[in-house]
Amino acid sequence: MSAPTILEGQGLTMRFGGLMAMAEVDFTLRKGEILGIIGPNGAGKSTLLNIVTGLYKPSSGAVRLAGERIDGLPAHRIVAMGIARTFQSSRLFGDLSVLDNVVIGRHALMKSGLLDAILRRGRAQAELNDAAERAAALLKAVSRDLYAQRHRPAAELPQADRRRLEIARALASEPRVLLLDEPSSGMDDADTDALMADIRAICAARPDLALMIIEHDMRLVAALPHRVLVLDYGQKLADGPYEEVRKIPRVQEAYLGRKAAQHARA
Amino acid sequence: MSASNPASNLTPADVAAPVVAAPRAIALVAAIELAGALFLRQFLLAEDWRVVVAMLALFGAALVAMQRRPALEARIEAAFADQARLAALLGLAIVLAFPFVLEKSTYALHLLVLAQLYAVLALALNFQLGSANIPNFATGASYGIGAYASALLAVNWDVSFWLALPAAAVVATVFGFLLGVPSMRTRDSYLALVTIAFGVVIHQLLNNLEFTGGPNGLVGIPAPELFGHSFASPLVILGYDLPAQANFYYLSALLVGIAILFARRVHDSRVGLAWNALRADELAARCQGINATWYKVLAFAVDAFLAGFAGTIYAFYVGFISPDNFTFLVSVTIMTMVIAGGMDNTLGVIVGAFLLTLLPEKLRAFSDYRILFFGVTVIAFLMIRPQGLFPQRLRRYGA
Repeated sequence: MSAPTILEGQGLTMRFGGLMAMAEVDFTLRKGEILGIIGPNGAGKSTLLNIVTGLYKPSSGAVRLAGERIDGLPAHRIVAMGIARTFQSSRLFGDLSVLDNVVIGRHALMKSGLLDAILRRGRAQAELNDAAERAAALLKAVSRDLYAQRHRPAAELPQADRRRLEIARALASEPRVLLLDEPSSGMDDADTDALMADIRAICAARPDLALMIIEHDMRLVAALPHRVLVLDYGQKLADGPYEEVRKIPRVQEAYLGRKAAQHARA
Repeated sequence: MSASNPASNLTPADVAAPVVAAPRAIALVAAIELAGALFLRQFLLAEDWRVVVAMLALFGAALVAMQRRPALEARIEAAFADQARLAALLGLAIVLAFPFVLEKSTYALHLLVLAQLYAVLALALNFQLGSANIPNFATGASYGIGAYASALLAVNWDVSFWLALPAAAVVATVFGFLLGVPSMRTRDSYLALVTIAFGVVIHQLLNNLEFTGGPNGLVGIPAPELFGHSFASPLVILGYDLPAQANFYYLSALLVGIAILFARRVHDSRVGLAWNALRADELAARCQGINATWYKVLAFAVDAFLAGFAGTIYAFYVGFISPDNFTFLVSVTIMTMVIAGGMDNTLGVIVGAFLLTLLPEKLRAFSDYRILFFGVTVIAFLMIRPQGLFPQRLRRYGA
């Protein structure tokens, strides 16, 4: 892969009081690349995502999007710059329609404010209708099933559809980087297979989109990412293709414990 | 209550958008609006407590019918959506004609003026509580700031009502911003506490400051004039004499109309969507690019702006204001109107405001038990319609 770097982190450190949640982590993400992030619970995976999306301000270190510093910017500005995310436990706008959820995903791409809504209604309405049309088209592309349910409240969707809707909502902001936080959590194998097919289709339609996926399901980790970043106790253990990373003893220890890892190697 | 009948298990999607033929839709819209107007007239003029109770029972029965037969509600809704223009024009005609059918009752007109001002206040708070789930207990304070600002302008500097109106709204909006900014450091219950404290501080200031007249308030606020017609004198339309209150009835009706327009435009816009997103999940909203702080402060400002207008009309209507008109209890009442009427539903909020303004007045026959009966009635309606009288509706786009 020699595509240009779109997102990079340097020396990212995060302290919560005396607790060191992340220490000197570096990473890079290239255009069109899928980077898997794995590690045991508490390894700092979600902390990394929260730093990149602006929910946390790193204690030290820098995040750059296409060369521009973004660490310390508020979350809503980072979305506007082209980084979108989903959440581990789905955080949809449950009492709004499926379509509205996706329209809200386009918030940063729309401009009309309060005065436009009141005094220049035609313009505000045209912008919103346009957003609704694009949102409907996006829903249709992501899942016909979801599109058929676009006028239902999002809270009524089954689990797999919720995850799909969250991905569609994130894509609505037309991001350059998409971060997925454990997209397969709570899914059975069939749902995970469908999810993997969805992600492949999304990437095929957007060759420049870079993905970071936090994942526990090793089937998905083995199949999708081009590269895997392993975190443990807030530190980077390894970074490379899954087939290589899985053979590194320290990675096996982190996942299986020292004894079991020795046993597995023996 | 609703769990016991199978019909209410239908989701709105199952019964969505039934097709109603145009003539039937027209008939349905006209019948409902006229019936509503007739109901309001009889309720306003009812003097016998038995009539009042019977009418409340009728209203409750209508709510039960709507709750048990979602298809019925969906049909009414579809008819109104289909004949939106007719519904608006007929509604306007009813509002204009209404004072003529009240048998020149000044009391009924007075109640209507108050109900309409409360409807504006409830619509104002709905931007916060209904749309964005910001528990603001200071709407009564913004109402008071608007009233005092315009009254001070009129009493001290002879500023006319028509200039004082926008000026007071601007003053109230500035205070809304002042409240909004520190409130952003807190949320939920803590935010509610900050707004309660703000309301109490404003009340105490009005009570203790020299230039606001202290506990005695401000007296001698002159009645507005328009083209030489004083609002204190009877209104003569086509040879028909209406009591002086009718002037303020039309004025406050105009304000309600503007507030409705305002509310609908904002609700069906990017701003309304952003507020709804914040209500559902603030963290997720921020991660969709919504500037949570800005939109919350904006909600405070909009609430104060509309409340300032209502305050000005109130001050010039009664001609005398004191701090006790704008207590914490006023804010709580406005909040109850929004919750009981239906969060984020314009019609619901207005019906809630009318119900909660008129009910205590109409229950005077129960003297000491008035407040008890009032509470029981509101609770009963909420048991029938847990989401408020008219709950929030999902948005539709384009065709």
